[in-house]
Amino acid sequence: MIEPTWRLPPIPVLLVGIVLIACAETGGGAMAQFKLELARWARGTMLARPEVHGLVGVRDVDEQILDEALVKLDGGLRLFHLHAEGMGTIIIVTTMVATSLVVRSTLRRTIVALITVGGAVYPLGYLLWSAVIPYRGIAGGKQLAEWLVWIPFGSAAIIAMWLLAGSIAWQWLDRRSAR
Amino acid sequence: MTPPNRGRRLAPGGRRTIMTALLLTSIVITPAFGHHVGSYVPRDNEISANFKQIKFSLQAEKFDVARRLFEEGALRRELQKQAATLPPGLESSIRGALASHDTNTAEAGLMVFFAALVRGLALETDRQLADASVPAAARVAGGGKMLEAIWRYYNLVDFAVSQRDPRAAAAVRLAFDEAEGYVKAPTPAPEHMRPPIVTIARVLAGVIEASSPSARRNS
Repeated sequence: MIEPTWRLPPIPVLLVGIVLIACAETGGGAMAQFKLELARWARGTMLARPEVHGLVGVRDVDEQILDEALVKLDGGLRLFHLHAEGMGTIIIVTTMVATSLVVRSTLRRTIVALITVGGAVYPLGYLLWSAVIPYRGIAGGKQLAEWLVWIPFGSAAIIAMWLLAGSIAWQWLDRRSAR
Repeated sequence: MTPPNRGRRLAPGGRRTIMTALLLTSIVITPAFGHHVGSYVPRDNEISANFKQIKFSLQAEKFDVARRLFEEGALRRELQKQAATLPPGLESSIRGALASHDTNTAEAGLMVFFAALVRGLALETDRQLADASVPAAARVAGGGKMLEAIWRYYNLVDFAVSQRDPRAAAAVRLAFDEAEGYVKAPTPAPEHMRPPIVTIARVLAGVIEASSPSARRNS
């Protein structure tokens, strides 16, 4: 039977959501505060690895390559800020929905675990991507972030959302047919 | 007779369920393979930005503004830096044209400057493509980046070149397309990229020669 009131998800799950939002805010502030230092560090690191970035020693070419990498690095930090804020909120809201509405305890625990882990780790992929761009290039860094973070944890979050949607729809249809 | 024990096997219905679950899971997680990573639009460098400012001022017949942008801008600084590789008298020709409100000559001078920049890049690309100490794939990748820079500069003056020498403009565009095709080829072949690059340098050398201040004075 569906409970008539909202129920809180486990406290550690709420804490994960809140900490993620706190990290997003800190990341956003730090990104603006240390923009120049970050750009200097990234530029120096990239110039020390010309082969990785395909630098050819011609200013007209290399400046564009470095500029693109710096734009992507900055973009990765911005996307971390946005995704961490969003996923923190999503973790809190959807785990509350799952805790309140999903009747089967195993399914409920699975959904809550998948949303929490998937949602919390997915945004960190953008931080990882930004951090490795100076060392591995844009494409190399993206590949690393994809296989280590985005694909496994993004999949976990997506599966959890569909399980939640499916289980709510199932329970609703079940109740209608029981009437 | 008892059938031989083949171990536990799933009923056809169970197998169907597992297959359906796997199919649904794969459909559901497919979006996880796409991520927001932003897009990058190449920005003007200070030379191309300064060129556009001067060009737009000329088109608006704001000659004083154009002259100031030329005198104080990055384009003139680069022109002075590259003076040894440029036709003699190019800077004074552009300055004189701006002072006498001669849009056509000023545009021709700017076109010669960018054609010379592109020619220099094409020659450097050819030199790097010929460097056998670098792996072929890296040479082609580097050549691709050089081509992007070549196009960024050439694109600024393509119209001006087309107006003065349509055959040269067509030859440069065709050579560029051919070279770009080798960048995208599955097997890296830097030696195939070199002829169209050399063509770009040769054709633009002709454009520079024909449009340089000394050639215009003699015509």
